[in-house]
Amino acid sequence: MIIKKVTRNIRQIDADTVKSNPLSIAFILFSLAVIYHANQFPDGGEIGPGFFPIMLSAGIILFAIVDMATDDETELDLSDVEVAPIVVISAILFAYVFLMKYTGFLVGTMLFLPIVLYYSDVRSKLLIAAISIGFPVLLFYVFSRIFMVRLPESQILPVSRLLPQLPLVVF
Amino acid sequence: MAVEHILQGFANVMDPVVLTLMIAGIFLGLLMGSIPGMTATMTIAVLLSFTFTMEPATGMMLLLGIYGGAVYAGSIPAILIRTPGTPSAAATIFDGYPLSQKGEAGRAIRMSTVASFIGGIISVLVLMFFSPVVADAALRFRSPEFFALAVFGLTIIASVSGDSLAKGMVSGLLGMLVATVGIDPVTGYQRFTFGTPELLTGVEFIAVMIGLFGIAEGLRTYSLGISDEQNRVDQEITGILPSFADVKSIAPISIGSGILGSLVGAVPGAGGDIASFITYNEATRWLKNTTPSFGDGNIRGVAAAESGNNASTGGALIPTFTLGIPGDSVSAILIGALLVHDVNPGPALYQEETGLLYTIFVGFLLIYVFILIFGLLGANYWARLINIPQSLIWPVIFVLCVIGAIALRGNVFDAWIMLAAGGLGYVMRLRGYPLAPMVLGLILAPIAEENLRRSLVLSNGSLDIFYTSPIALVVLLLSVTALLVPAVRALRS
Repeated sequence: MIIKKVTRNIRQIDADTVKSNPLSIAFILFSLAVIYHANQFPDGGEIGPGFFPIMLSAGIILFAIVDMATDDETELDLSDVEVAPIVVISAILFAYVFLMKYTGFLVGTMLFLPIVLYYSDVRSKLLIAAISIGFPVLLFYVFSRIFMVRLPESQILPVSRLLPQLPLVVF
Repeated sequence: MAVEHILQGFANVMDPVVLTLMIAGIFLGLLMGSIPGMTATMTIAVLLSFTFTMEPATGMMLLLGIYGGAVYAGSIPAILIRTPGTPSAAATIFDGYPLSQKGEAGRAIRMSTVASFIGGIISVLVLMFFSPVVADAALRFRSPEFFALAVFGLTIIASVSGDSLAKGMVSGLLGMLVATVGIDPVTGYQRFTFGTPELLTGVEFIAVMIGLFGIAEGLRTYSLGISDEQNRVDQEITGILPSFADVKSIAPISIGSGILGSLVGAVPGAGGDIASFITYNEATRWLKNTTPSFGDGNIRGVAAAESGNNASTGGALIPTFTLGIPGDSVSAILIGALLVHDVNPGPALYQEETGLLYTIFVGFLLIYVFILIFGLLGANYWARLINIPQSLIWPVIFVLCVIGAIALRGNVFDAWIMLAAGGLGYVMRLRGYPLAPMVLGLILAPIAEENLRRSLVLSNGSLDIFYTSPIALVVLLLSVTALLVPAVRALRS
């Protein structure tokens, strides 16, 4: 009975189903590309390096088809979603990470924060300045000076080297 | 067990220097655990060098304070901002975040604190009384049993998939596929690295997790229109102590999850993340037809996950102390801390270093008592944090996400991975895909693949190896049942 039900649902997949499930199609295409690439891996005895990725990709294809075939009640209402903020925030984040190797963490974050805060409708200049300067400096001391985490440093203007050292006590 | 050993351990722990360092460790753990991306492992690894000049017991108290504090504190951002502070708090999101959206963040944090205390205390008692027995059982685990355990872990996908099992499976398999990037564990072949040196060690799953839960949630917030008033949730502030009714309601599941979490934690390689997913999943099976249902803000879901992950801390120390085999990444560092002081973990530790061992046991119990006190005192303050205007908090969270990803290996590449995962997570969430299965797949895939292939090498390609091991067979049969039951139920409905 269950097999009949699945078969019937799969038969119902048509062009509209495919159009309304772009992510399922993307996952299927991605999995096909993985299978093609993993097939080039060398034979590794009983089970080679390509076995697991191929099996997983086949599983993704299978469940993506099942997902398209079954009635989808989990789709969200996309009418409330605005594309522009996603594009703007993604671009700012992209620029923040991309420029970090030139600006370093400290300066990069001091540039990133006021832009995002302003975009988020924060208009108090004092608040923007306090967060944009205070928060990166606090994080810098906690991570770089106390926990000795290596944070990106600007090659052009290594500002963080100008900050004073903490007087740490070792037990 | 001699009472005098326990009393001597208590006297050692009451030393002002030991006590001060223990409390300092707890506060450091609370701080670092509540920052997404900062794990207990990293914090302990960084501070290890500070303990070289200390007495072994003093140093261990500092490190164990961080360990317990960080595992507990990971639940705070999971409840407040849907971003787990540590990987082991990922399962806390399912019910913790819906509770904070209902204005009950303080209640969720208080119950998370109580459950963490119960789970932690149970695990230390298990460590004290049953460690040799449990460690012996865990030592018998070979590749087929580990593979079966990983498969059993993956069946949890069924219970964290929400309305669509198929979407959950796609998400989980995608996570597993991402975990295959890097050097093949058996042949050493470079898979899907495309000449990128940063990918040789694989995709850093914590970076993916920060992206999936932190960045994706941020993008969703901005796409719906950021508003300080619209998204404001008034939090109920009801004093410091939890209500008796809540404690009574979570006590049985916390005790059950504490015992199960201790056992899972005792299996080498299975840390708090796996323990919490397993205990959460078992809670959904034990407590069917509860109101509200699991995933909609059930306080017992928070308790199951939190008791489970904190219970894994004591459990992880069982193989560490009795066999010298680390139960998780933190206990691997703790072994290093002991070796520096010429203390060799293993069966002889129980004869040669009894004083040290009982100081650690009693100290770890006390750490969980302090976590209970600090957690309850701070719950309402944490809960108020959620009402900081979104326009201020999201820029700050974005920075914490980026620094959390970079701090893992000191590499900006992981920030790119995090952003990519954030973008993918946002699109998947938009189309109704659950994200938790992907994290589960990322964690369990390496264990599953490595042990499947090792098993087949041992058996010359024969699948008999899984039938001839009674433990593996039973666990695999349980896994098949766990997957088939919801699938058949979904198809019938």
